[in-house]
Amino acid sequence: MKLYFSIFLALLSSVIVVFIMLPIAATIGLQFQDSEAFASALSDEAVWKSILLTYYAALLSTLIAVVFGTPLAYILARYSFPGRSFVEGIVDVPVVIPHTVAGIALLVVFGSNGLIGKFSPVKFVDALPGIVVAMLFVSVPLYINAAKEGFASIDVRLEHVARTLGSSPPRVFFTISLPLAIRHMAAGSIMAWARAISEFGAVVVIAYYPMIAPTLIYERYLSSGLSAARPVAVILILLSLLVFVVLRVLVRGGNVSESES
Amino acid sequence: MSLKVRAEKKLGKFSLDVDFSMEGGYCVVLGPTGAGKSLFLELIAGIIRPDRGWVRINGQDVTKLPPERRSVGFVPQDYALFPHMNVYRNIAYGLRGLEKGEMDRRVKEVAKKLGISHLLDRNPRTLSGGEKQRVALARALVIQPRIMLLDEPLSAVDLRTKEKLMDELKFVQSEFEVPVLHVTHDLIEAALLADEIAVMMDGRIVERGELRKLFSSKNEKVAEFLSARNLFEKLSSLL
Repeated sequence: MKLYFSIFLALLSSVIVVFIMLPIAATIGLQFQDSEAFASALSDEAVWKSILLTYYAALLSTLIAVVFGTPLAYILARYSFPGRSFVEGIVDVPVVIPHTVAGIALLVVFGSNGLIGKFSPVKFVDALPGIVVAMLFVSVPLYINAAKEGFASIDVRLEHVARTLGSSPPRVFFTISLPLAIRHMAAGSIMAWARAISEFGAVVVIAYYPMIAPTLIYERYLSSGLSAARPVAVILILLSLLVFVVLRVLVRGGNVSESES
Repeated sequence: MSLKVRAEKKLGKFSLDVDFSMEGGYCVVLGPTGAGKSLFLELIAGIIRPDRGWVRINGQDVTKLPPERRSVGFVPQDYALFPHMNVYRNIAYGLRGLEKGEMDRRVKEVAKKLGISHLLDRNPRTLSGGEKQRVALARALVIQPRIMLLDEPLSAVDLRTKEKLMDELKFVQSEFEVPVLHVTHDLIEAALLADEIAVMMDGRIVERGELRKLFSSKNEKVAEFLSARNLFEKLSSLL
């Protein structure tokens, strides 16, 4: 009976694993049968420009998320105040909004005639800042929630003791809370960065140009079909996997050395 | 040294309303779980502020001072050692601003007195309960506090360690010449350690004095808390 149940669990689980693996593996595998197209995509300057732009914009958006999201995460984890769950709800809103809708909403604010866009010396539409705000909007909840969880997991008495040992609240934050939450923050940054790289819907509404990699792939698919889009997609998949794995290993690796020190 | 507290604090349905003073020595606040003992210590340490009233240490009104300016040694339950620092850095944490040689000298001095010199490189996670307590005591004592506040310091250790640690706590009080305010729910701890016992119930100090006096208390709740049956259960847990 128990064995049957294990098999049952394993069968259902493997459906999901295969469902995720198959499209990615097939895309990569089939591409190797057409290595010529892959090689020409590799030497295509537009492809590399779009990929670099994607990673760079995602990096900027993650930095903004860390700078402004960390204090918010700390407040949400440590203080109870009227309206706290309302603020927590707001943070999660980008997760439930369709991304094209998010793009439209951002256009209302940052568009050339938008609330902020009208007065801003910085141009958002069809420009790097537009890409960054779109990425930030969809990815910042991931960072805040991870950092919040990190701060909440710290025993508040550690902070109390640090205070009685002569530390002001800012020093307690930087010497106790931050170092103890750093692993959650790092994991959250990776997730937010990965989410930003994978964003298409919100970005394409506010900034079709300059083209980020997902937009470039979409454009090639529309204009020249699957065979033109696939090599670029494969490059993006391989690069993303590589970066994702390396970052995960770095975060894990740090964890191991900490517990041994 | 003198500590005087006359303060009220409401937290939800619970209200703390204490009138307390001590003049050095080893004082144990004894009371059942939920009596407000930890809150009382947090009030003295400055972690919470009273709604009304004041806290005075050596005649100085510290009610409005933040914890970092009160110079009290606080050892919470389970010790709260900083897990990302080794023992040395835990102890040195409160010595910021001191010249490096002086800091080093003071850390090593307190570590030697408490017999933890061999642990300075260790990670707190690898320490035993008794070692953790000594490190927590060292970390608090190194700043030369005006008073030590100990929150259930013996609740996390087994009985054999407990006996040893009780000797150590007495040693700390005399060796460092620092008054100790120790809160616990354990009558035996109180009986063995205290120069003076204060009984706390429902957020109030309801009785105080020597052990003998407490047993003749007219307060029904105190009598019940110290009843023969309770005592017997405590004793039988020791056997």
